[in-house]
Amino acid sequence: MRNFDFVYSGIFILLFVLSGCSNNLKTTTENADPFEGLNRNIFAFNKSLDQSIVSPISSAYVNTIPYSVRKSVSNHLEWMDTPSIIVNSALQMNLENTILASAKFMLNGLSFGFYDFDNNETKIDKKDLGSTLAKFNVPEGPFLMIPLLGPKTVRDFTGTVSDRQSLSNISSKSLKNLSLVEIPVNLVDKRSKLAKNIDSIYKSPDPYTKMKSYYMQNRRKNVYGDEYLEVKNNKSDLEFEKLLQ
Amino acid sequence: MKNSYNNLSFKKVLCITFFLFLFFQLLTFKSYSDNIKSSEVIVQKMIADAKQHALKTIKLSPEERSSKIKILIKQFINLDFMARATTGSFWKKASNTQKEKYKSALLKQIVNTIEEHLNTLARLSYKPLKSEARGKKLVYIRGIIVDHSKKIPDVNLLWKLAKDKKGNFLVLDLEIEGISLVSSHKAETMSILRKNKGDFNALLGTFTEGE
Repeated sequence: MRNFDFVYSGIFILLFVLSGCSNNLKTTTENADPFEGLNRNIFAFNKSLDQSIVSPISSAYVNTIPYSVRKSVSNHLEWMDTPSIIVNSALQMNLENTILASAKFMLNGLSFGFYDFDNNETKIDKKDLGSTLAKFNVPEGPFLMIPLLGPKTVRDFTGTVSDRQSLSNISSKSLKNLSLVEIPVNLVDKRSKLAKNIDSIYKSPDPYTKMKSYYMQNRRKNVYGDEYLEVKNNKSDLEFEKLLQ
Repeated sequence: MKNSYNNLSFKKVLCITFFLFLFFQLLTFKSYSDNIKSSEVIVQKMIADAKQHALKTIKLSPEERSSKIKILIKQFINLDFMARATTGSFWKKASNTQKEKYKSALLKQIVNTIEEHLNTLARLSYKPLKSEARGKKLVYIRGIIVDHSKKIPDVNLLWKLAKDKKGNFLVLDLEIEGISLVSSHKAETMSILRKNKGDFNALLGTFTEGE
């Protein structure tokens, strides 16, 4: 256990240092990709794994399990992520999100998160450690393609690893066992929700670049919000006006 | 006497300048609001036509459906602009034949993307949110796609439009939840072109590979 903690801390420090290897790319639309060759190989591995295992399971899941059951599973998985949202919202001084997430967590806790009593009326920003690190001006670092997990930046991968680790540190043994079941279920649930988008990425001429572009734009929008969108739109306006001349 | 005459004419000049300024401001404001109105009409019409198309063509073969939607999309998007915007500086180096081939490949990709979501679109509703003029040429139309059955979460859309050479407003780009179609397509195209040292034929080859 001690060895594991040592390895974990080592990985965390290494990733944190690596994320400092690039500038804060908040205002740019492209991301540094020094590991492109390796990333493309991992993407090919993930794609074949997805097409041979995850996608068929996900299709079977959608075709055989009724929508209401799938919705309950989805609700429960979201509920399991809420403690991390509460902690990170507090760290980011986002009081409104902290209160809303806490209230929703307690309310839905009555059904262990399987039923959404709020019927998705309360919009909660999904804050994670990656976005907290961004708030403290930690650069996003190079783009990475992680086996099984898919696209991430060094900063977001650091966040994902620590979010998961801190959750398992504070939870009971039975909850730890539950989270082992949760990972594959989460994978299938997310794949079923994004089925059309992922299949359309695979059909494109350069699926790796398309996935990277989709991920980076979506992630930056979620982390930086309107500020990023405004900078991006100002930049594209200039480009468009030039082309329209 | 002369001094008061000068004062009077100076006041007149000031008044005329002020009214001229006001007049031109009003003209600019009117032109901006006209641009916004025209763009809003285009977006509303495009969505209504796409929905109608989805319902009408549901029994047709995929090929017939594709050819029909191709005609529909061509009316609303500025394909020439999109082709230039997604190829950057490489566009100028391409021959006319290569440019035409690229445009039709790009149109095919857009058609494929829309077709995948067409049947879903038929049961969703579009709500316009906010419109704004950006600079002298561009207009942003923001809207949201709502699924009343709540199976799909709300999707935010941003249409970017501008007048073409004939004076018609056409769509230049569409952002879905902050993801720009032109930006992602450009990233992909530029990556292929850079890898092939700007060879347009290699780019066209990758488009036909997936068919």
